[in-house]
Amino acid sequence: MTHDAMIDEWYPVGLFSKLDAGGRKTALMGEPIDVARDAEGNARVTGGNGRPLPVCVRYGHVWSSLGAPQKALFAIPEADQAGRRFVDVGVVRVRCSPLRAVENFLDIAHFPFVHTDILGAEPHTEVQNYKVEIREDEVWATQVKFYQPQAAKSASGGITTEYMYRVPAPTCAVLYKTCPPRPGEWDVITLFVQPLAEDLCDVWPWMALYDDTTTLTDLIHFQQTIFLQDRSILENQIPRLLPLDPGMEIPTRADLTSVAYRRWLKRHDYTYGAQLVAQ
Amino acid sequence: MLPDTTGFWTPVALSADLPAGTVMPARTPAGSIALWRSDSGRTAASADRCPHRGMRLSHGFVRGEALSCIYHGWSYAQAGNCLRIPAHPGLAPPETIRVATQRVEETDGLIWVAVGEPTGHPPRMEGLVPLRSLMAHASVSALEIAAGATADPVGIVWKIEPSQTIRLLLALQEDDQTLIHVMLSDKCSPAQRIAASRAAESLRRAAEALQAKGIAP
Repeated sequence: MTHDAMIDEWYPVGLFSKLDAGGRKTALMGEPIDVARDAEGNARVTGGNGRPLPVCVRYGHVWSSLGAPQKALFAIPEADQAGRRFVDVGVVRVRCSPLRAVENFLDIAHFPFVHTDILGAEPHTEVQNYKVEIREDEVWATQVKFYQPQAAKSASGGITTEYMYRVPAPTCAVLYKTCPPRPGEWDVITLFVQPLAEDLCDVWPWMALYDDTTTLTDLIHFQQTIFLQDRSILENQIPRLLPLDPGMEIPTRADLTSVAYRRWLKRHDYTYGAQLVAQ
Repeated sequence: MLPDTTGFWTPVALSADLPAGTVMPARTPAGSIALWRSDSGRTAASADRCPHRGMRLSHGFVRGEALSCIYHGWSYAQAGNCLRIPAHPGLAPPETIRVATQRVEETDGLIWVAVGEPTGHPPRMEGLVPLRSLMAHASVSALEIAAGATADPVGIVWKIEPSQTIRLLLALQEDDQTLIHVMLSDKCSPAQRIAASRAAESLRRAAEALQAKGIAP
């Protein structure tokens, strides 16, 4: 493993609300780390050799880095909007590359087959053309539309949902989707991925929703159901690492977001969890 | 396994264990395969990896005469060519999208998969019928020692009692595992079939114990 550009990025390492003085032993990119709350109530992250690591607390999570982050954690303006509910979903451990976990989150074509009768259903399998671009060095996909039998916990009956995706960091993605109770607004669902190793990650979804009626338990159950269905895929892809060699897998027009994500990773030398040459 | 100069046949499953309209994972010395049977009853074997996103095809589903990937529903014919990409229903998939396939032959209640390009057909099991398959965490040599018999290219002929001999077909798996297909005479009584099944289980336990103790290589 070479020292690549990903070492200086911020990564989620735990829920701030769950921290206590006892600390939480976890790992970041192969290094054992400890995440704790000190006597003043601040989050502290310590590396394998006892050295203090950079810390910030945002979007319900504690963030840290093994390197020296050059900039602040990416902004999610919706996290400061009044009226939204912020949901710490928890963690799902997945035996796959952190990059594969992100790529799966950016994909809609699997909905009818993996999230059957929830996020998609046959015969509504077609992926309409959508727009992919790089905006201020982030991957953006917009005008993504898909028919969904039950798009959100607050949805009743099938609707065509519109999505926007944003990749502001190599292991983080933000999804904006049609908000059933508030047409014109977007629900925000994020995927924050903690790379434990190149082929093992903890996935921390987080949400900022307009939904005053669904119980917290139901909101969390809904997301856990979805992510556990995704895990059954992610742990059975070959190879475990995300291939950046274009000859290794075959994309189609529906995969434009993934193509842009892979190119963006390659251009930035974000290769922790990637397979560069076909084996 | 009958090696010849160009390849050989390996027994991967009992016909009875692969009903119509299903897919299962299987293994040959050449790698993992998705073994499936179409609704009309035709068996086929393909590489266990969808070329789109690398998902295991053995987790997929069979509809009609095609095997579909569980991830995005891409479906493949017996010959390995991609038939349909559900995200683009109007698109005829190009010929270049395909999965590697292996020849399959089904005789005497067994499904055989070609490794390489064997010139002939799988060996026949005259007068024998399959009973069951079991996976042993033991090598072929551990099984030979446990059975007190030497394996020939088609497995081990094993006398379980003076009046009853059975044949064990052996298919090498990864991590020192061996898949055993138990074959016995088509004239066996139900009591003899039960005895053969129990004998095979005892043999597996004995071979696994030898392997665990490091007695067998």
